[in-house]
Amino acid sequence: MLSQLLDNFPYLLSGAGKTVEISAASIVLSSVIGLFVALLQVFGNVPVRTLILVYLYVNRGVPLLVLLFAMYYVLPFAGINVQPFLGGILVISIYFGAFMGEVFRAAINSLPKGQWDAARSLGMRRPLMLCLVIFPQALRLAAPPFFNTCMVLIKSTSLVSIIGVWELTMAGREVVERTTAAFQIFAGVGFIYFCICYSLSRCGRYLEERLRYGH
Amino acid sequence: MAARTRLRAADACPIESPVFLDLNFVLRSLPLFLEGTIVTVELSALTIVIAMIWGLVVAFGRISRHRALNLVASGYIEVVRNTPVLVQMYFIYFGFAMAGFGLSGFASGLFALSLQNGGYVAEIFRAGIVSISTHQVEGAKALGMTRWLVLRLVVLPQAFVRVIPPLGNQFILIIKDTSLVSAIAVGDLMQAGKLLSERTAATYEIYLILALFYLTMTSIVAVMLRLFEARFAIAH
Repeated sequence: MLSQLLDNFPYLLSGAGKTVEISAASIVLSSVIGLFVALLQVFGNVPVRTLILVYLYVNRGVPLLVLLFAMYYVLPFAGINVQPFLGGILVISIYFGAFMGEVFRAAINSLPKGQWDAARSLGMRRPLMLCLVIFPQALRLAAPPFFNTCMVLIKSTSLVSIIGVWELTMAGREVVERTTAAFQIFAGVGFIYFCICYSLSRCGRYLEERLRYGH
Repeated sequence: MAARTRLRAADACPIESPVFLDLNFVLRSLPLFLEGTIVTVELSALTIVIAMIWGLVVAFGRISRHRALNLVASGYIEVVRNTPVLVQMYFIYFGFAMAGFGLSGFASGLFALSLQNGGYVAEIFRAGIVSISTHQVEGAKALGMTRWLVLRLVVLPQAFVRVIPPLGNQFILIIKDTSLVSAIAVGDLMQAGKLLSERTAATYEIYLILALFYLTMTSIVAVMLRLFEARFAIAH
């Protein structure tokens, strides 16, 4: 029964490697985008803030799969050719950049106003204020929802298999087509995802407890 | 339904779209998109109803004093929340098909979406129930209420008001997640767009329509939610 899963487990693991690659790249990129989005929302002028709101609204209302397919079908027509692997990472990063932005913005906004005033009264300029006063405190607050978003992101990387990128879910489908042992193989695939996501959420919970002093 | 959809897609569409946004194409393909939208709405509504009921059951398991029940419920929540819904869909769709009693794509999609979102909804309900102050529970107990009565008359009505915003967010995520059933050959809105973009060159129009349709659906839910919230905020 389980032999089909065990025989193909190394193949699935190499798929998992690709999933980790895509996830890591997307997490880094979407965090950078999210940070910019949050800062623009806090400091930007009205047109910039409106633009950001539109970006957030679209990402909250349109499924990731629609965006992935749009990348796959529309960009070639616009004369831009990206590899699905790279394009997948880009689309996931832009999509989750919106959610990361919300995470960071909520953390920045939840700091008491006195912190800003105190920093300003010490004569700090904005970059210094952010680096020394705001970020160290806000990032601590942002840690739990950040890890949560990362988990959702990792699960969402499975969608790139639909536009033909080879990763864990795609590897699972290939093995199932060969062995027809769908229950075992997809249970194995699910197990690997579970290990990745669960360890991350454990990490998040550990950090949450470690960082909860001083508030 | 898939065969009918394919026929219509083939005769409705031009090979090459002559202008940047071909309104003619939009008009001609609209019935196809509407047909897909109906499937998406059906699937979303059914998922929401089942996930709410199942989520409440799991939440009761999660807060129960029964050790085994508690363990099963939290194990279930961890498993469904830490695996992608797409893999769950494949597990159900291909698994049952290869075991000899195939479920339809729609049924598999509904099953997987309800399982996953049941886990999320259970956590939302649990958080809502836990957020009610213990003084309330103690007060109710002091009045001689049983545990069930405390839950039904004191805790749940208050918890219900608090879970409206996160529940609404979950509903929006459900609508978006239904697009995944296009991967197991269900003729939903996403699938309509996919079929058209395989057969025509009108990709700008197709993805604009798709985005607008999904945005409309999620916005309607968001607005309804806000009204609902306002309505109960006054009563509170």
